[in-house]
Amino acid sequence: MHQVADVEVAKNIMDANKRLADKNLKNLEEKDIFCVDFVGAIGSGKTTLVEEIIDNTDYKIGVLAGDVISKFDAGRIEKHNVPVVGLNTGKECHLDAHLVGHGLEDLPLDDLDMVIIENVGNLICPVDFDLGSHLRIVVVSVTEGDDTVEKHPIIFQTSDVVVINKVDLADAVGADADKMVADAKKLNPNVKVIKSSLKQGIGLDEIIQVIEEAMN
Amino acid sequence: MHELSMAQGIINAVLETAEANNATEVNEVTVEVGRLAMINPEQLEFILGVLIENTIMEDAKIVFEEIPAEIECNDCKFHGEAILDDSDHYAPLVKCPECDSLSVETLNGKDIVVKNIVIEKPDDA
Repeated sequence: MHQVADVEVAKNIMDANKRLADKNLKNLEEKDIFCVDFVGAIGSGKTTLVEEIIDNTDYKIGVLAGDVISKFDAGRIEKHNVPVVGLNTGKECHLDAHLVGHGLEDLPLDDLDMVIIENVGNLICPVDFDLGSHLRIVVVSVTEGDDTVEKHPIIFQTSDVVVINKVDLADAVGADADKMVADAKKLNPNVKVIKSSLKQGIGLDEIIQVIEEAMN
Repeated sequence: MHELSMAQGIINAVLETAEANNATEVNEVTVEVGRLAMINPEQLEFILGVLIENTIMEDAKIVFEEIPAEIECNDCKFHGEAILDDSDHYAPLVKCPECDSLSVETLNGKDIVVKNIVIEKPDDA
């Protein structure tokens, strides 16, 4: 004979990630390390921004470079003589706190004062996954189209800083960079928005300044 | 877009509880989906259907309950259910219903929670 029973599960599927994110943050804070994570679409300029920050500051930086299946980003960053761990998500479209936790184990944390996490190119999925960083910067380029910000509201509402990159190409692709700035401000009135052209060195100082303000 | 990992997490939670309660079959699973989680319940249901083949939850009915977005407004300090403007988006804009501000802290509505399951088990278990 069988009986039917109603059993409470009450298990939050997102909690496991949140707990691991809190653990990552605690781990970093114990070692006095500031952690910033970059999110943004494929080709928005995340890796270039990582390279520019490494080359233009004196911080001892370690990098976790997220990528779905390749190691190209990690290879690019390695050339700048900083410790880098490539994180392949395989089938997933985002980094999670579990992968980042393992990545941190492979960085020489005792020798670092900043960790940069470069997420997988995606404006949607990373929203649901806190990684344990202090500051989240979303990088979007004008070449993605000037409606990209308004089309992906949640990532812009939940990030601390918005970088509108490749503004030097705006005219060529018929994009209005100021519309993107206004859209970001509308979605997140307190967000810091910076227009940049990282290949031309425009906007980098301001981005570094914002990171330094958040560090203090 | 990350329905696969969510589905796996749900199945693990269900099977763990089912086994701890000596279930021979899972008849029903209720999952709360926060309105702000970047998950489409239809896609989640599809992938769940694939992953539960050949498990004791193979024939389970999956019930989704939508959890509204609860906020605190940074401008007027309103605390309660947000207005979700999804006229242009599947993922909605989160607004304060009192002052229309978009500067809000989200307190609830982002999570995916396996709430309860209905199981069959032997009388003597």
